[in-house]
Amino acid sequence: MFSYYLRLAWQSLIATPIVTLLMLIAIALGIGSAMGTLTIYHLMSADPIPEKSAQLFELQLKSYDKKQSSWGGMNDGFPLQITYQDAINLQQAKFTTTQNFLQTPMLLTGFAVQTDDANIAPKLNSARAADSDFFAMFNAPFAYGKAWDKSIDEQGVEVVVIGDKLNKSLFGGGNNVGKTLYLNQKAFRIVGILQHWQPTPLFYDVNNGAFNDAEQLFIPFSLIAPNQYRSWGNNSSWKNENIYTFNDKLASEIHWIQYWVELKTAKEKYTYQQYLQTYIKAQKQRGRFERDDASADLKDVTTWLSYNEVVSKDNSVLVGLSFLLLVVCLVNTIGLLLAKFLRRAPEVGVRRALGASQGQVFLQHIIEVAVLGFTGGILGVLLAQLGLSLLKNNYNEYKLLTSMDLTMLLTAPVLAISATLLAGLYPAWKICRTQPAVYLKSQ
Amino acid sequence: MLKMNNINKIYRTELVETHALREFNLTVNEGEFVTVTGPSGSGKTTFLNIAGLLETVSQGQYLLDGIDVVGLNDKQLSKLRNEKIGFIFQSFNLIPDLNLYENVEVPLRYRGFNSKERKRRIEQALEQVGLAARMKHLPSQLSGGQQQRVAIARALAGEPKFLLADEPTGNLDSLMARQVMELLKDINKQGTTIVMVTHDPALARSGERNIQIVDGQVCDFSLYSSNNNEKTA
Repeated sequence: MFSYYLRLAWQSLIATPIVTLLMLIAIALGIGSAMGTLTIYHLMSADPIPEKSAQLFELQLKSYDKKQSSWGGMNDGFPLQITYQDAINLQQAKFTTTQNFLQTPMLLTGFAVQTDDANIAPKLNSARAADSDFFAMFNAPFAYGKAWDKSIDEQGVEVVVIGDKLNKSLFGGGNNVGKTLYLNQKAFRIVGILQHWQPTPLFYDVNNGAFNDAEQLFIPFSLIAPNQYRSWGNNSSWKNENIYTFNDKLASEIHWIQYWVELKTAKEKYTYQQYLQTYIKAQKQRGRFERDDASADLKDVTTWLSYNEVVSKDNSVLVGLSFLLLVVCLVNTIGLLLAKFLRRAPEVGVRRALGASQGQVFLQHIIEVAVLGFTGGILGVLLAQLGLSLLKNNYNEYKLLTSMDLTMLLTAPVLAISATLLAGLYPAWKICRTQPAVYLKSQ
Repeated sequence: MLKMNNINKIYRTELVETHALREFNLTVNEGEFVTVTGPSGSGKTTFLNIAGLLETVSQGQYLLDGIDVVGLNDKQLSKLRNEKIGFIFQSFNLIPDLNLYENVEVPLRYRGFNSKERKRRIEQALEQVGLAARMKHLPSQLSGGQQQRVAIARALAGEPKFLLADEPTGNLDSLMARQVMELLKDINKQGTTIVMVTHDPALARSGERNIQIVDGQVCDFSLYSSNNNEKTA
């Protein structure tokens, strides 16, 4: 009977093309807007590294002085970044092997990039300075080569790992490990080339743009000080200091470095927290961390993302509004369905007289609604795709958030069919309850 | 075939109670051709709807082919209606978007026949009413008489034991009406029980028995010989 009902549904839909079109437009508009906003919300709120998001922690230190009641702009009073001197101190502890968990300080910087090929014009590229642990911690996949040796984390050597996009644009792709790249005219040896890698959101540095492209250049953090590489990210300080040289900045209280640690178990986390308390105590003796509540905090990836409101409240409101529009569209669809079905009451009367039960009449109409919902859902997905591509072409910051993944592509028809079925329940119930005798005489 | 004992049908609204049938008693034997007459508002249609299981009774007993139908649920009633009863209406009640084949197919679909069996029955029924060549036509492409013949084919396709006809010639001219009546008589001769409601005294005489309903009760009946419409009792 299912195929029979499908055929009846098709015949019914094409028999009233204008009403069908109106209903399809209503459903497609509702589904399109809901799916468009939901896609952005879904990608924004996705766990970028689900396999270890609970094991990676961003470190925060409340290092500012007593004069500030609070500083850094966050409710819990922890600044988003740490100072270079704290980063270096913590990094040194890793080298002494007592706290040798995977960890890395990091900084957003950038260079004019050139190759030996004189035909390729130099171009500016952002770069991430980090320790070699970065790649293992964040599961950055290598296509060729590998991360630089750990010894380079201590003594800066000009080596670089590049992303696949840059590899393609500079060399046309392929294995170019061992070749030379010039960053601000300084020669760097390529030691590794990543596969396509784009964590979304870019969780490890949300304060420099959670939805930016991942960097295509990765250099050792140990090169920052000797080469005096500038920060391309946010810099902020609570202290009024005279900074005349790069070394002044390195020794300052400016917060400009991010610091991530991988702690696989609760025990490891506890051990590291104990170490941080010891570190703060030692810094207090040096006259820093003078607040009574000076402390450290470790936030895992999901906590870090919600703490930074990567998905802003505006987005949630927008999703809510678009679902409200879907409800409005569905209410209109209910009206149209009701009118259409009740107009067909005489035919239903005949079917009932010929042996159709109320259940069969209900099923026939609900299948028609499902066909309508499915078609409307497909149109809605196309509409959502159109909206997303418009957004993508006009707003660069939405570039990574406008591609429907498989989940969203599957969600759309399910949402469309269930929403339309919900809308069709009352009209289908109403029509199956009609008294056939009333219509058999009056046809 | 049909036995109604002390049937009452009451329509209730907030303001008024209407007794459409009261203490209604009727027996129709298997293979009979019974015509039902009566003035407007006498309860003919209510009787037909109850007989056709389209409405339930308020009180009383109704046996259809030996089955007590009072108290059956909608699914059971629909199954019984599909298997045992064929309907012919005054206004044909064909589904306009379906062609003749598909119209005749409707009750067979609900019966659950496979496509081969449906095809056999549809072709046979349309053959019987002389419209086998026009299977792919829509109802709107046929004359009134032809449409009624399709409706008869639809009623016959399920091979029901019992045919209910409500003014089957009411919308037809006299020539077409005569053809339809001949067809119904043929069907009856093949063993199908027919109950036909009509206003037309001439048509009322074409059955074997005529019953008159007045004020929701059977008030009179007459017997006719099947050949010359002569009143015999």
